[in-house]
Amino acid sequence: MTAKVVAQIEEQVLELRSQGVVPDGFEDELEACFEQAAEAALNSGSVPLKDLGGNVNPSVGGALGLGGLARQATVLLRRRLGPSLRRVERRSVIGAARAAETTWLQVHVAVDHLERVAARSVPASRVLSVLRPRELAGAAAEATHVAIEGALLTWVLDRLSATAGVPGPVLHAESGDGSIVEALVARGLDVRGADPRLSVRAGGATSTVAAGALEYLGAAPSGTLSGLLLTGVVDRLRPGAARALAQLAARSLAPGGVVVLVGARPEVVVAIDPVAADLSPGRPIHPVTWCHLLAHFGLSELTIFEMDASEPDIFAVSARCPSPEREDTDRSSP
Amino acid sequence: MRARPVRIDQVIPSIVERDAVSHHTLEAQRVLHSMGFVSEVYARNMGPGLQGRVHLLEELPREGPEHQWVCYQASIGSPAAEAFASHPGLKLLDYHNISPAELVERWLPHLGEEVRLGRKQLAEMAPIVELAFADSEFNRLELEEVGYRQSTVAPLMVDTTNFNCLPDERLVERFAKERAGGGHDWLFVGQMLPHKAHQDVIKAFACARKLFDPKARLHLVGRASCPAYADALHRFATALGLSRAVHFAGSVSAAELAAYYTSADVLVCCSDHEGFCAPLLEAMHHKLPIVAYGATAVPETVLDAGIVLASKSPVLVAAAVQRVLSDPGLRAQLIEAGLERARAFSIEAARRGFATAIERVLQAS
Repeated sequence: MTAKVVAQIEEQVLELRSQGVVPDGFEDELEACFEQAAEAALNSGSVPLKDLGGNVNPSVGGALGLGGLARQATVLLRRRLGPSLRRVERRSVIGAARAAETTWLQVHVAVDHLERVAARSVPASRVLSVLRPRELAGAAAEATHVAIEGALLTWVLDRLSATAGVPGPVLHAESGDGSIVEALVARGLDVRGADPRLSVRAGGATSTVAAGALEYLGAAPSGTLSGLLLTGVVDRLRPGAARALAQLAARSLAPGGVVVLVGARPEVVVAIDPVAADLSPGRPIHPVTWCHLLAHFGLSELTIFEMDASEPDIFAVSARCPSPEREDTDRSSP
Repeated sequence: MRARPVRIDQVIPSIVERDAVSHHTLEAQRVLHSMGFVSEVYARNMGPGLQGRVHLLEELPREGPEHQWVCYQASIGSPAAEAFASHPGLKLLDYHNISPAELVERWLPHLGEEVRLGRKQLAEMAPIVELAFADSEFNRLELEEVGYRQSTVAPLMVDTTNFNCLPDERLVERFAKERAGGGHDWLFVGQMLPHKAHQDVIKAFACARKLFDPKARLHLVGRASCPAYADALHRFATALGLSRAVHFAGSVSAAELAAYYTSADVLVCCSDHEGFCAPLLEAMHHKLPIVAYGATAVPETVLDAGIVLASKSPVLVAAAVQRVLSDPGLRAQLIEAGLERARAFSIEAARRGFATAIERVLQAS
């Protein structure tokens, strides 16, 4: 059917040409016009306005850098001077801001990757040590290896085990050597582990995947976890990331699910190394602040675990995602 | 019958969200999981949003063929191919085509180098790959040409999540207002890369405005992945006096894309090179008639669900578009055939195709 139509169209084109409806050389002129535009674009080295205004390609933004984008914006401003100057300025500023945001994101993604590669690659470790001074990285790593044992371990396991009937597995992020994953499995729970550090994952639970807490939770579907244990990452979040972590935690829990955070007390981190605490990528957060954030994103039954004298440096917080049944019950109470 | 491995992992040079090959790879992972295999995706580079779902290539386990198979997603030259080639496991390759260097190197010299390397690596891997998949017969024939002994067509698992997205109402209203002033809406969807030949769509559009439809509008949707090329297209449209008629939409949301598909009158594709061309399928789903230049895998993807031309002379393309716009019977036939064709590429069918290909390797002696 379409072959016949195509033949008819081709015939029509021949007629148009023979009747002179299509001016002689019109298509050649179009080609020549594009060639001129192509040469001009290739020689100018500029990017089109649209790129700066609304659709910065991450790779382009990253490759040009902010200096390059500023130069391009200047070129464009010069080109578009006149009545539309104000509009162009606004678009360029918005574009530069978006490019800066993109670059910021790329830097953090790159650092995340380096952190993961650094565990087994000497060159990557060197690059990382330039990006993050060694002593700060060391202090952060030290702080993230809080030991969960004794009464705290029992409390954590009890909280996460109290999710009977809630669908979905329990996730431990960042799970290190998988010992807590195994302890939870021993209690009959379906447990997953996630940790970005290859070195500590080796020999750990088979269900451990290579991912940081933010990465894993960012990709996880909503409402699919019955429990979530957050360790390590809690102590070394970048500015603004604590809020994101609380939000992702709340989002990932199924109704009735429980989240438990375990971290080092900020005052302890400050006392050990005030310089590292002040200059580290993220400020250590107090347990009461975690409670505030988790409540802000809709979690309830907030509990702070008070350590005994033997473990004064560590805190733990738990919260539960409200289930409709529980809410109904509450409402029906006198 | 071959021993069933514990895991079938995939290696991909780069993976990003909202990319056809990346989506195919993640779908393939789901299929492999459903078949009972442990399966992870390992990438040399990954975009934001995929951390946690995808692993760094350095973390790829290296086990023998009785435990592990590895499938390489080939669409560009990359050191990831070397990691794949040196892997001890049984090797599979999924080929999505590699654009010829001559189509891109004028604009993106580094991309020219990468695609040249990609074709070289593709040929070098032929002797070590047990079975190669191709998402079109066109791609499969290319594999045969470079020496792949066993190859089969396993359709691209296209991202259909956009298909049923509600159109952006604000944009639909804007189109309706513009349409009230007369003229039809042409659409092309694809990254602004030179082998997509946006300039040829603009040429045909200029012809159509001159000969048939002086108030027509052209919408070019897609990320400006090559800044110089995008700049040239802006300059070209301006030089032709079409800066108000040609709308460079850039990268759009799913709702906005749906608005473009539902509001346009025709999809015009003049690409010089396509290994499959997913936007054609999207157009079919949205009941949008297609006029396309019959290059590479395009005729195979469209079949009789669109007007496929042997030449992309601007006047010919313009006349074909005019015919589709002015012949309601033809338009209805194309839409019906498009819906039928889109069903043939359903995600369920594509998943079955991939699973069947894997079973074929398992059953080989």
